[in-house]
Amino acid sequence: MTASQIYEVFLKADGKGEFRHVGALGAADNEMALLLARECYCRRAEGEQIWVVRRDDISSADSAETAPNRNKSHRHNDGKLVAEHRRQLREGS
Amino acid sequence: MRAWADLDEFQEFLDDGGMVEADDDMPEEYRHEVFRFIEFHANSELMGGLTERDWIPHSPGLRLKQIFLAKTQDEIGHAHLLYMVAADMGIKTRDEMMSDLLAGKTRFHNVFHYRAETWADQIAIAFLVDAAAFASQRAVFAKCTYGPYKRILRRIVGEEGFHMRHGEEMLLKMASGSQVQRDLFQAALERWWWPAVQLFGPDSPPDDPLLNWYIKSERNEALRHAYVQKYVPLLQGYGFTVPDDGLRQDPDTGEWMMSEIDWAPLKATFSNAGPDSARRLANAVRNHAESAWFRESIGVSA
Repeated sequence: MTASQIYEVFLKADGKGEFRHVGALGAADNEMALLLARECYCRRAEGEQIWVVRRDDISSADSAETAPNRNKSHRHNDGKLVAEHRRQLREGS
Repeated sequence: MRAWADLDEFQEFLDDGGMVEADDDMPEEYRHEVFRFIEFHANSELMGGLTERDWIPHSPGLRLKQIFLAKTQDEIGHAHLLYMVAADMGIKTRDEMMSDLLAGKTRFHNVFHYRAETWADQIAIAFLVDAAAFASQRAVFAKCTYGPYKRILRRIVGEEGFHMRHGEEMLLKMASGSQVQRDLFQAALERWWWPAVQLFGPDSPPDDPLLNWYIKSERNEALRHAYVQKYVPLLQGYGFTVPDDGLRQDPDTGEWMMSEIDWAPLKATFSNAGPDSARRLANAVRNHAESAWFRESIGVSA
């Protein structure tokens, strides 16, 4: 018996929405993974399209790698300074 | 991968609404308890699916055959997804969970330790048991702190909702049918009322870790009480008698109060010593053996 592989399953609903991760399953190959995805995750046509991706083929970064980007205020602008300036102009102070 | 220094820090994380993911370095106590809970749920879906399947050939009429086929697919599908979530916790593989279930080493829901004797039993199961399972799963979904389980529960709870509606529709037909049909359902109700009520389990212990970790959002006794409040009037409204001589309504609050529950039947199911446990397990073992050729042909195990 060959070992089954783990696949991650993504569904995209009809329309403009994005593909979303819905879960995982075990299957021997891509074709079987698509069949099982249809039967396990899409029995009531919850998605219009299905992606299956072997878990081993996914590269991932965890919070240790994403954390530095949490701290970059220069990439945001909450508009507060400008709003305050405009308020002062309006109120003539 | 996230890690926590100790259980207190982990508890703080959960109290703040934190969600645990499969690759987190979660405390071993949490990993084991949550794994056991999901494994139990997966086993129950599989054993439930097998009994639904057994009734497909006996379904009266094409529409009900289709419904029971769909229910069987749903339940087996739920088992498939839950075993996947459980296996990802890294305690047992799917194969190990399957062989432990078939060897009688692990548990499944009490209601699958009883024999469904007539078609009316299937209706009682769909109406009473699916509803009890639905209430208890919805309460787990509500706050569930284990992300992969919560996401799968959303799907499961949605599908169980269809089963409940099928159950009540079937009950409506029995209730508005002949006296023979009404008697048939009343007899089934007498077999299934207590197992359904006991599905929620005995009162939760005061320091139940599953409650502290927000796997369960409500105590067993609270869920059971709410269930009784809803289902006693429903059954009476359809003209059936709840098989509890001590059942009474509190004159002040209007709440339904049951007799003292005899927990011995529930405890027997914990050790697979229920009235139908041996036959059900043998059935599952046979099913697993008979489908081995299929798993081999597609190159997958379990």
